[in-house]
Amino acid sequence: MPTDSVYLDYAATTPLDPAVALAMQRCAGEAGVLANASSIHREGRRAAVLVDDARQLLAELLNTDPGRLIWTSGATESDNLAIQGAARFRAHRGRHLVTMPTEHKAVLESFRALENEGFEVTWLRPGRDGRLDVAELEQVLREDTQLVSIMHVNNETGVIQDIEAIGALCRERDVLFHTDAAQSVGKLAVDLGSLPVDLLSLTAHKFYGPQGVGALYIADRPGCHVQPLMHGGGQEQRLRPGTLPVALIVGAGAAARMALQHREADMAHVTALRDRLWAGLAALDGVTRNGDTAHCYPGILNVGAEGVEGESLMLGLEPVCAASGSACNSLAGEPSFVLRALGRSDTEAQSAVRFSLGRMSTEKEVDIAIERYRWALEHLRSIAASP
Amino acid sequence: MTLIEPYNNEVLARFAKPIHAGDVEADYDSVLGADAKQAADGARIRLSAGIDAGRVVVLRFRAWGCPHLIAAADALCEEASGKMLEELAGWKAGALAERLAVPRSKAGLMFLLEDALRSIVAQSAQTE
Repeated sequence: MPTDSVYLDYAATTPLDPAVALAMQRCAGEAGVLANASSIHREGRRAAVLVDDARQLLAELLNTDPGRLIWTSGATESDNLAIQGAARFRAHRGRHLVTMPTEHKAVLESFRALENEGFEVTWLRPGRDGRLDVAELEQVLREDTQLVSIMHVNNETGVIQDIEAIGALCRERDVLFHTDAAQSVGKLAVDLGSLPVDLLSLTAHKFYGPQGVGALYIADRPGCHVQPLMHGGGQEQRLRPGTLPVALIVGAGAAARMALQHREADMAHVTALRDRLWAGLAALDGVTRNGDTAHCYPGILNVGAEGVEGESLMLGLEPVCAASGSACNSLAGEPSFVLRALGRSDTEAQSAVRFSLGRMSTEKEVDIAIERYRWALEHLRSIAASP
Repeated sequence: MTLIEPYNNEVLARFAKPIHAGDVEADYDSVLGADAKQAADGARIRLSAGIDAGRVVVLRFRAWGCPHLIAAADALCEEASGKMLEELAGWKAGALAERLAVPRSKAGLMFLLEDALRSIVAQSAQTE
C-alpha cells in the first residue's frame, strides 16, 4: 500500500497480519508443503496435517469441534452453500424461508435464486436502528419454515443482531438458523459452544488472514445438513469438493490464533479510535450516524452528511480509503440498499461513508480522516447548487 | 504498479480548485441564470451569466454531482466566458466530455450543461 494512503476500510478487507504472512511463506516456500492434502503419500499427509492444524485453530477461536468446519473460498461461498444447501436438503419438509433485505448480497442473491426455484421467502424489514425485532420473526415463522438467515454484524453499519435470541427461537421451532458472521468472527466473541447457531459463514480476510479462504460451520444436530453445490472430489466431508489451498488455510489458522490472542485488545483499540473519529465528525455541521449506536461493532462507523454527493465526497476524502456504501455496492454506483432498508432516502444513502478501523489503525490516521472529511464537506457545500 | 484512475488530471485539478464556481453579481447589462436537474440521481447544475452587449462576459456555476460534472461545469464556464451568445446557442458537450474522459454511463450529466446553457441563450433572446 502506498505510504500516503490512509486505510480505513477494514470491513472490506483487513491487511495481512505479518505473523500470518510468515506462516504462509513457510508453508508455500521451499521447505514447505508441495503436495495435495488429499494425497496419501507422506508429503500429502504432511499437507493434511497442516490443514487439520489450521482447522483446530479456527475451532478454538469459535469454541467448537473442528470436525464441524468446512473450508471454503470465503464467506460468499459459505453463504451460498449454507442457504441453498440447507434449503434444498430440507425442501421435502417445507419451502418457506426467512431473511432480511439488509443482508450481504451473497445472502440476498442466494435467497432470490431459491425464490426462482419455487421457495417462498419472507423478507423481514429492520427498524430504523437496523435491528430485527425478534417478536416479528416469531410472527412469521410457520410449520413449513425451514431456514432463517440473519447476519451477526452488518457490513455497512456495524449493527449487531441478537443472534442468541434469534437462534433460540429457531431451535424452539425446529427451524435451521444460519448467520453470516464475516464481520464478527475474530473481532467479537463467537462461542459456538453456547450460541444456538446451526450454520455460520466466515472468511479469513476480515480478521487479518488471506483472501480466498473461509469456512462454513455446520452444527451437529439432527436435520442440520446441506446439499453440496458442487460435485467433484470428496473433500471436506463430500460437501465442498476441490483441492484445498494449503497455504491459504495455514494463513487462516494463523489468523484465528492471532485473533484469539488479540481480540480483546483489538476491541479496546478500535473502540477508542471510533470514539475519536465520531467526536471529530459529529462536530461538523449536518453529519449524522447511520445505524444503532447501542448495539454496534465499534470497528465500523457509518456517517451521512447533508448537501453532498457521494462520489465527490469520496474523491474529496482521498488519500483516505473508506467505503461509499458497501464495497460490493460501490462499483455499481447505486445508493446503499442497506441504508435504504433503514429508511434513509436515496440522497441520504448515497452520501454515506463507511469508515472501518482495525488492529493497525492509528490516531494519526483518524485525525487525517476527520480533516479530509471536513475539507470535503466544506468544499462541496461551497459549490453546491441548492435543491 | 499502475492504477486505473477514474478521473484524468484535468478533472482532478478542476475538482480540487473549481475557480469558476459561484454566482455572478449584478454588474452587467443583464445577469441570467438557469437550472438543470437529472431526476434519476438528483444531480443538478446552476449556471449564471453576466452579459454585456450580447457577450457572455462571465459564466459561473454551482453543482451538486459527481467530480466529472463539477469539472465539466468549471471547464464550460472557462470556455464560454467572452463568447457571443449566438456562438453558444448550439454548444454541445461532446468534445468536453471526451477531453475529460467522462464515462459513457454519465453522458446524461453532460446534457445538464447543454440544457442550462441553452436556457440562458433563450432567456437572453427573450429579453432583447
